[in-house]
Amino acid sequence: MHSKPRNLRLPRRRFLTSTAATAIAAPYLLRLPRALAQEKPAEIIVRAWGGVWVEALKKGVSDPFTAMTGIEVRHDLTEDNEIRPKIWAAVDQGRMPPIHVNWDTTTNATKSALRGVTEDLGDLANLEGLLPLARPVGLEGWPLVNVYSYAYVLAYSQKAFPERAPESWNAMLDSAFRKRVAMYDDGIGLFAPAQIAGGGRFEDIPDNMEPCWKYFRALKANEPLLGEDPDFTNWFQNHEIDLACTIISNAREARQNGIAVSWTVPREGATLDTDALWIPKGLPENELYWAKQYVNFALSAEAQQVWCNALGLPPVRPGLEPPADLVGDIAYPASEADLDRFLRIPTPVLVEHESSWFEKVNEIMQG
Amino acid sequence: MKSCRADIGAGGGRADRPVGLRLLDLAERLRAGLFPARFSVWTPYLYLLPATLITGILAIGLVEMAETSLHVLNRATFRLDPAYTTANYTAVFAKPVYLHIMLKTGLAALLVTGFTLLLAFPYAYHLVRTPHHRLRRFLLIALFLPFLLGQVIRAYGWLIVLGKQGLLNAALELIGLGPVSLIYTYSGVVLGLVQYMLPFAVLLLAPALTAIPHEVELASHSLGATPWRTFRHIVLPLARPGLVAAGVVVFTLTVTDFAMPEIMGGGANDFIANAIYDAFFQLSDAGMGAALGIVLTVFASLIVAVAFLLVGVAALGHGAQQKPRVRP
Repeated sequence: MHSKPRNLRLPRRRFLTSTAATAIAAPYLLRLPRALAQEKPAEIIVRAWGGVWVEALKKGVSDPFTAMTGIEVRHDLTEDNEIRPKIWAAVDQGRMPPIHVNWDTTTNATKSALRGVTEDLGDLANLEGLLPLARPVGLEGWPLVNVYSYAYVLAYSQKAFPERAPESWNAMLDSAFRKRVAMYDDGIGLFAPAQIAGGGRFEDIPDNMEPCWKYFRALKANEPLLGEDPDFTNWFQNHEIDLACTIISNAREARQNGIAVSWTVPREGATLDTDALWIPKGLPENELYWAKQYVNFALSAEAQQVWCNALGLPPVRPGLEPPADLVGDIAYPASEADLDRFLRIPTPVLVEHESSWFEKVNEIMQG
Repeated sequence: MKSCRADIGAGGGRADRPVGLRLLDLAERLRAGLFPARFSVWTPYLYLLPATLITGILAIGLVEMAETSLHVLNRATFRLDPAYTTANYTAVFAKPVYLHIMLKTGLAALLVTGFTLLLAFPYAYHLVRTPHHRLRRFLLIALFLPFLLGQVIRAYGWLIVLGKQGLLNAALELIGLGPVSLIYTYSGVVLGLVQYMLPFAVLLLAPALTAIPHEVELASHSLGATPWRTFRHIVLPLARPGLVAAGVVVFTLTVTDFAMPEIMGGGANDFIANAIYDAFFQLSDAGMGAALGIVLTVFASLIVAVAFLLVGVAALGHGAQQKPRVRP
């Protein structure tokens, strides 16, 4: 139905042609007769992560959406954890929320859905044909929609591992890399592999996490750097670290910037998770309508192809072409069956226990 | 003068008065109507009103926070349970991580206060005593330039200077000393905070040092005192109001600091403010965040109260500096 770009390096002319074609197809995508009945807001605000993340969203979703609708998209780079209480407070107090669309982790989005602050997205046309991964777990309806999956890989400096990739997450514990390893400041992404590398079983999560905490204690002795997404790219670029548990997109960005960084899925496996889009309650009707159209467009083949390829992540819309540099990559699941190779902690377990795991990691790392 | 009054009294003079003066007359009549002279005894209290209002609003916020701290998070709905409990406070004092963070914060505040006062005192002394205008101008510019940059930019500046490929490590490598880890450490946080606090301390010390008559020091010298004795028995006691004020301000700013441990600490050197942030934003637990906030407020207030008890609140007043205890 729609033309698909073959790789990330989309020629400008072809991009413009695609955009024009999309604009023509837009009335059908957006059910224009209803759209005409809704007054267009001057802009909609979408919360996003910085660095490669917002650039990818802008290129794949926001700019084409503006070209189609004339509605400007402003990206709010407030941290996902910081925007959440603001939205919660706004909805509780009957105020208009600070953003129209929240790009969030699925776990955090589920927490907001449980609190009852999310709009139902069940009427979006582009929900049809998505992978089952797109559907929220443990919730009724569509209070959020997952938009892609991603793996927390073991990224490494090729200078430190010139021969071959590290085979185990235990490489992070090697004293040769003291002060040169990094992880997320709350330990996210590392819980499952740490459980196995620490001598435990994945099935024992969440009832017996002691092997996981044993791994984190050993990691603490190696004095890891703790940070957020953009930090990993910076640290690799500044040669501050040799090893990191991070999302593939951050390591890939460093590599695209000319740094000799690669990544692997060690023998213990790697965590697979998803991110989601959701809309807070409390928006005026017309703004809610256009916010929904934004999410709807983000789920279209055109948007998913460009957005997810720029991030290097597998989309929830099946049948799209992977980025050329990630074809056959161990950390890029190319099919639904590939997803089973990864460690996937069920969302309800994460929602219930993740906060206490964050506390535990904090306790170990601050000790 | 008399004729002038007569002219005004005659009528035409009032109309001739400039508009500004007539407006002032009007304002004066309005003030006299609203606030008659017999109420003048309340004037000082009126001056206190804005500060009282601001403090009152803060107090209301504190009461709200205290109320929030008495509810635990329900992880099924991610809302606070309506039942009152002290469970959050029990958790704050039972979990070693929070005690550890409190100790680290307190120690850092003491270190930063000590180092900052040590560095700020000679700086402020030279700033107020130097006879060279150019040097004074240079010292003022050097003091205010970082002041204008803000804490976050300064912290990132330190990352550039002290990073693995920063200026300092490049210099160390030139002389054969390998790269050293200076950022993302506790000492890095203390260093960043000392640099951040220095202008505050100098600005608070300078007025106290300016108030010390230079003649007193000259008299001490002329009576045979060494520079050290003059400093020890004249300058230091007379500078006490400035030292107390600077110490209290630097200590409280450090103990509540967030940005420097966040940026320079590498994630493993959190202060209480970072733990509060994590509770509110990372864990979505407003109850625990509020409990930590109350503990921090009480902790900081207690330290300041102890400081005032030890040196006396009067030490902040310039009257205290008029009685130097000079040994014969």
